[in-house]
This record gives sequence, C-alpha cells and structure tokens, in this order.
Amino acid sequence: MIGRWRYWRLKTKLLFLTLFTSALGISLVCISLILVENQNYRKQLESELHVIGGILAEQSAAALLFTDREQLGSIISSLKRIGTIRQACIYTPGGAVLSALESQDRRPCPDIMQPLEAGFVGDAYQLRMPVTLDNETVGHLYLTSHLDVMRNHIRTFVLVTIAVGTIILLALVVLALRLQRIVSEPILTLSETAERIARDHDYTIRAPVSGTDELGRLGSTFNDMIGTIEQQNRRILESRDSLERIVDARTSELSMANRELEAFSYSVSHDLRQPLRAIEGFGQALEEDCGEQLNDAGKDYLRRIRAASVRMASLIDGLLVLSRVSRQPMENESIDLTNLLHEISDELMNIDDSVPTEVNIQEGIQVVGDSRMLRVAFQNLLENAWKYSARGEKRRVDVSAVETAGSITIEVRDNGVGFDMRYIDKLFVAFNRLHTPSEFGGTGIGLATVYRVVRRHHGDISASSEVGKGARFDVTLPVSRR
Amino acid sequence: MRDHLKFLLIALLQFCLSFAPAHGSVRSEYEVKAAFLFNFTRFVTWSHAENSAEPLEICIVGTDPFKELLDPIRGRLSQGRELQLKYPEITSDLFGCDVLYISESQSRNLNLLFDFARQQGMLTVSDLPEFARKGGMVGYVKQGNVIRFEINLKAATDAGLTINSRLLELAVRVLR
Repeated sequence: MIGRWRYWRLKTKLLFLTLFTSALGISLVCISLILVENQNYRKQLESELHVIGGILAEQSAAALLFTDREQLGSIISSLKRIGTIRQACIYTPGGAVLSALESQDRRPCPDIMQPLEAGFVGDAYQLRMPVTLDNETVGHLYLTSHLDVMRNHIRTFVLVTIAVGTIILLALVVLALRLQRIVSEPILTLSETAERIARDHDYTIRAPVSGTDELGRLGSTFNDMIGTIEQQNRRILESRDSLERIVDARTSELSMANRELEAFSYSVSHDLRQPLRAIEGFGQALEEDCGEQLNDAGKDYLRRIRAASVRMASLIDGLLVLSRVSRQPMENESIDLTNLLHEISDELMNIDDSVPTEVNIQEGIQVVGDSRMLRVAFQNLLENAWKYSARGEKRRVDVSAVETAGSITIEVRDNGVGFDMRYIDKLFVAFNRLHTPSEFGGTGIGLATVYRVVRRHHGDISASSEVGKGARFDVTLPVSRR
Repeated sequence: MRDHLKFLLIALLQFCLSFAPAHGSVRSEYEVKAAFLFNFTRFVTWSHAENSAEPLEICIVGTDPFKELLDPIRGRLSQGRELQLKYPEITSDLFGCDVLYISESQSRNLNLLFDFARQQGMLTVSDLPEFARKGGMVGYVKQGNVIRFEINLKAATDAGLTINSRLLELAVRVLR
C-alpha cells in the first residue's frame, strides 16, 4: 500500500486523502452519535421505568394495605399496554408475592428479600423499589424491562447513521472530484508543460500561471527558469554556430593546404622519377656502350651513380606508397591474414634464401581492413624481419595472434639484430634509421608506412627489442565493427 | 342419628375451611378488620383537624369485638398522628373521637350515632350488615372468606370528611 502510494497519480492521491479524512471524520461522528444516543436512550429508558415504577407504587399502595389482590391485579395488568415491561411483581412487606404480571417466559418473581442486581442486567433492565405510604414501607415492587425496543431503536439509529454517512460520503466524492481540480489542475498543467518542453526541446513554451499562492509562484518560477534556459540555449546555439563556422573555415583551409601538400609530394615524387630514370638509363647505356673506354675508377664511379639512382628510385617508391596509404580511401573487408603472410614470406624466401629460414605463422588469423594497405604493412614488417636477421646462422620468424575483447593483437617476432630501445621514439618516424645503410639497406619509410596503415585502421603498433636478441612488433587491430 | 349426621357435616365443613385460601387461615377475621381500621384512617382527611400533631382517637362504641387484636395498631402513626384507642361507655363520652367503631351491640342507636358523627365530623366504621346503606360511612363486607368494605361517600362528605380516591377504588361499593 505504502510502496504503491508513490505510483499513484496526484489526482488519486488528493482524492484518496480527502475521502480518507472525511470518511474517518464521518465515521467518528457516527460512532460518537451512536454511543451518545445509546447512552441517552438507556437513561431515558431508566427514567421512564422509574416513573412507571413510581406511579405503580403510588397506585398500588392502598391496595397493598388492604391486600386487595383484585385491585392490584387490575393495576398491574394495565402495565401490559407498555410494551417494554416484561415482568412486574408486587410484594407484601414480608416478601410474599401479592400480584404479578406474568413474563413471556413465565419466569417466577424473584425473591425480593434477597439482594437483587439492579439496573442493566444481561438483556433486561431490573428495577426494584419500595412502595411507601407516609414514609412507611407497605410493600415492594419489582419491574423488569426487556431491551428489545432499545435494541431495535439503536439498530435503526445505526442504520440511519450509516445511510446518512454514506450519502454524505458520496456527496463528498462528487465534491472532492470537482474540488481536487483546483489543486491538481495547475500542477498537472505545469507537469505537462515541463514534459512537453523536455520532449520537444521547445523553450518558448510557458506554463499558465494562476493565482499568487505557492502553485502560482511555482509556475512563475518555472517560467523564469525556462526563460533563463531559453536565453542560455540561444547563446549556446549562437556560439556553437559561430564555432562551427570558424571550424568549417579552418578545416577547409587546412584540407586545401593538405591537398596541395599531398599533390605537391606526389608530383615531386612522380616528377623526380623522370630525371632519375634518365640518369639510370643513360648510366646503363654508358656502362654498356662505353664501358671499355673507362678505367677502373671510372667504372666504379659509374656503378656508384647507378646504385645511388636505384636507391633513390626505391626511396621515391616508398614515398609514393606512404602518400598512397595516407590518401587512398579505405575499404573494409574480411582478410585471411595467415594466407596473406604465407604469400609474402614465400616471395621473400624466393628473393633471399641465403640463410636457412624457419617461418612459423599461426593458422586462421582473420582481420578486417583494407587488404592492399594491410599487405603493404605486413610486407614491410616481414621484410624488416628478413633483413635484420640475415646476419645470423639461422633465420627464424614467428607470427602469432591473440584475440581479446574488441581487438586482435598480431605479434611478429624475429631473431635478428634488434635495436636499441633508447631510440624507440624515432622508430616509426619517416626517414629515421637506426642502422647505417652500410649495415642494412633501407629507405627509413617502411615502419612509417606501417604506422600510418595501422593508425588508419584505428589500431596501434608497438615494438620491443634488445640489441642482438631480435625484435618484436605488436600490431593491435580492432575486431570487425560489422 | 340426626345428631350424628349434623356432627359429621360440621366436621366436614371445618375440614374444608382449614384448606381455605392462605391469608384467611393465617389471619383471623378481626385481625384483618383491625388492620383495615388503621388503614382507613390513613386515607381519610378530617376537616376539623387543624392541629395534625394531636393524637388520632379511635373509639370503640359498644361491646369490643377486637379485644387484644387492636394492640398492634395502638400508638402507630397515621398521617403523622398517633393512634389512641378509647372505649366510651356512653354517648356523652364520644367528644374528641375521630373514628367511631360501632359494634353490633349499638345497632339500635345507629341514627343517634350517625347524627352525632355528622355534626362532630367523625368517621363511622362498623361490620353491621348494610351499614353503609343505612347511613354509616365505612362498613365491612365479607365476600366469601375475604373481608372487603363499602363506603357511603355522601355520609362522609356531609360530615366534612374527605376520603382518598385510592380508598374509594378499593371499596366494593361506593354510595354517593
């Protein structure tokens, strides 16, 4: 009941409160009325009986003196007309019954000389009084009155009271239904207004304010609040709009600059190839056609020129790849990474099998992403593993994957020379190399490209190593968002 | 033989009478009458009795049929007045009486006594037959075994006596 109370509607609560209080009041009034009426009726009955007894005593005194049974009989039989009298007995001073009005249940007259319980006894009222003449007791009188009449009277009274109480309560229901609106209507309107504002985000709506009582003040305070919110909202919207405009302007400027830069780097890379191809082509022609005319030093210079041009070509290729992985639109597809890695390692095996090589790739690695970009990334990682483990007696490359909630981590481990952890910051930055070109060839763009690809896949990459004990790269990619 | 029968009849009658209603057997006729005599005084108002402190005198005129049966009422209070008994020999001694009980022996002097009682405002009581009809005020009547009484209201009123209606109600007959 109390638990459910809070789920009741305000109307119901008000109605319930009103009706409960009035029902309580009405029933209290009814009960007290019934009690008072009962008391009054008892008193009335008592005094009535005393009056009857007094009259009877007065009337029967003379007859008692003359022991005139006939007269006593006629006096006592007049009591038959009084419905409430059940039994009446007249005694001589000695206690002998002179005359009696037979009770319905033919109870004998009690012995008057014994002490008798007077007043309300059980379902009857008993009265005993002496019959006196000139202050001399000439006999006794015993009267009992049954309480049926009183009971009926009280019952009728109770019924009438209940009926009247019910009618009043019904009238109160009607009245309360009308009156509770005075209180609940403004609250309901206010709450509806608040709901509408919350639902539609329309801060121009105002609650109707009625009167200057607490509800009226609540309404006007609510309206003030909504007004403040409306103002602040407008200001926020204005500043947001201006911010958006600024951001839009900046973004467009930035993207324009970015596009120009990309176009520039692409065109630079692309345009650099032309002269490089010329250098390489003519270098080759020079070597083939005029090689005999050159002495050994000249030949060596020419070889160096050609080697440098090849390196530069690969550098430009790397830059183009890097630019491509940055600009290219991403595709999202499911990729069998194990298969991809096998392809790459097979290729690498064909190119360089100078050292006995053992490759372990975990079966069934599945990732989601752009297959071309991921191929570029893992090609670079495996190439690195290949490259830096070429000096040992045996090459060993392990690829394994661990899937956790929401992401998959692919670990690429080699037994190569490794790197110094002090320079880990420079590892994924373009053109930064931790080894000299004489030690290991390379452009310094590979890991930067890997980093770019992984970032575009919303993933992460980390590396750990110890010099001479191999390196380990962990690529974390988010699991399919599909 | 006839004496025998008579004796038997009387014996039978006496036997029957011994089983008569209770109060008849308990109290003798004159005991009841004595009680009645006292009770009559309680319902009668004397017009000349200004001083209620005076004793109420009951005079037994003629042969006293009550004897010691009147002793219980002697000295009792009736309407606040003490009851006194007098046994006057001659009519001249009747002054001061409030109640005259006229015994059978005075049946010849009734008219004289009635006149005297009327003049002096005395209540006349007797168990002479037809006493009330003859001009007496309260006369005992025997109905079966029950003692009742008759009242001559006119005689009482003439003598300036007021008889309580309660007493009149109980009377077998009221002559007006």
